[in-house]
Amino acid sequence: MADSSMADAVKTAGAFVGAGLALGGGAVGASIGDGLAGSQTIAGIARQPEAQSRLMTIMFLTVGLCEAAYFINLVFAALFVFALK
Amino acid sequence: MQPVYFRSLAIDITVGDHVTTKVFGLTLDLDIIWATVIAGLVVILLGMIMRAKLTSGVPGKFQLAWEMAVEAVQGQVNDTIGPRGAKVVPLALTLFVFIFTCNLFEVLGIGSKIDFLPAPTSDINLPLAMALYVIIMVHRAAIKNRGIGGYVKHYFNRPFPPKLFLINGFMNVVDELVKPVTLTLRLFGNLFAGGLMLSLLAALVAWKLSVVPIGGILSLPFTIVWKLFDMAIGAIQAFIFALLTILYFDSAMAPDTH
Repeated sequence: MADSSMADAVKTAGAFVGAGLALGGGAVGASIGDGLAGSQTIAGIARQPEAQSRLMTIMFLTVGLCEAAYFINLVFAALFVFALK
Repeated sequence: MQPVYFRSLAIDITVGDHVTTKVFGLTLDLDIIWATVIAGLVVILLGMIMRAKLTSGVPGKFQLAWEMAVEAVQGQVNDTIGPRGAKVVPLALTLFVFIFTCNLFEVLGIGSKIDFLPAPTSDINLPLAMALYVIIMVHRAAIKNRGIGGYVKHYFNRPFPPKLFLINGFMNVVDELVKPVTLTLRLFGNLFAGGLMLSLLAALVAWKLSVVPIGGILSLPFTIVWKLFDMAIGAIQAFIFALLTILYFDSAMAPDTH
């Protein structure tokens, strides 16, 4: 009896730690990617202001791709917390 | 001290609950199915209305919106693939309009356990089906473009020189296998996270400081702001799905340069 509750506790703790790692790591990576995309876009617009509209499209695309990695992680975090707990 | 609101937050939220039925042992998510059908009907209706109101004279706002969407996709295809890619335009445009419509359903959700009109893309089945269709069509286009022999050869002679064909083959196979998975999970993850956020904001109502319903006060503005942000996310994700479709077709239709 005590064994099974202990195993449950370990499982829950593992699920939460895994979800936290997934969310934290995903957030770090996505922020760095967003920052790089944004800074390079600003540099590009400063160099060549008339290219702004073209650069903005590509920037939103890149930001979307970077954010997507984070949202994929968020799905896995939800899987850990809600399904595997 | 026991933080009561955390407990209530964690307990109240469940994910992946649907109105289901069983058909030959397969579980069908009925709410996703009818939401998909409704989204499809909306897109078809928009097309029908456009066809009926079509004029070569001064276009109305409705026609202008459609023309803008079509021209945006055509411009994108022309920039990346060139005139060869004209066949991709209808597919990419349909995907964009349909996914955008599906994503807008998220605005109707209130974060309850079962939303009766959920965003169909917040269930993994619809994004997976669309991604698989796109990927199969991309491979078909690649075989048509290069022939069977060229298609197989193409796996082994890039990105490194053909001497390293084993490494090339491994990298390209992994690349091709990952494509549908990321295409699916990107769309699904974004919309799913949107729904989860709505649930969290709804659960925030349980947070009270003695008699002050602080969670209830915070929940409403946060929900409004989040839904506005979510609409932007939905538009960007629909755009990305269509754009990646175009880019995948571009790499499949590109003439061999070696």
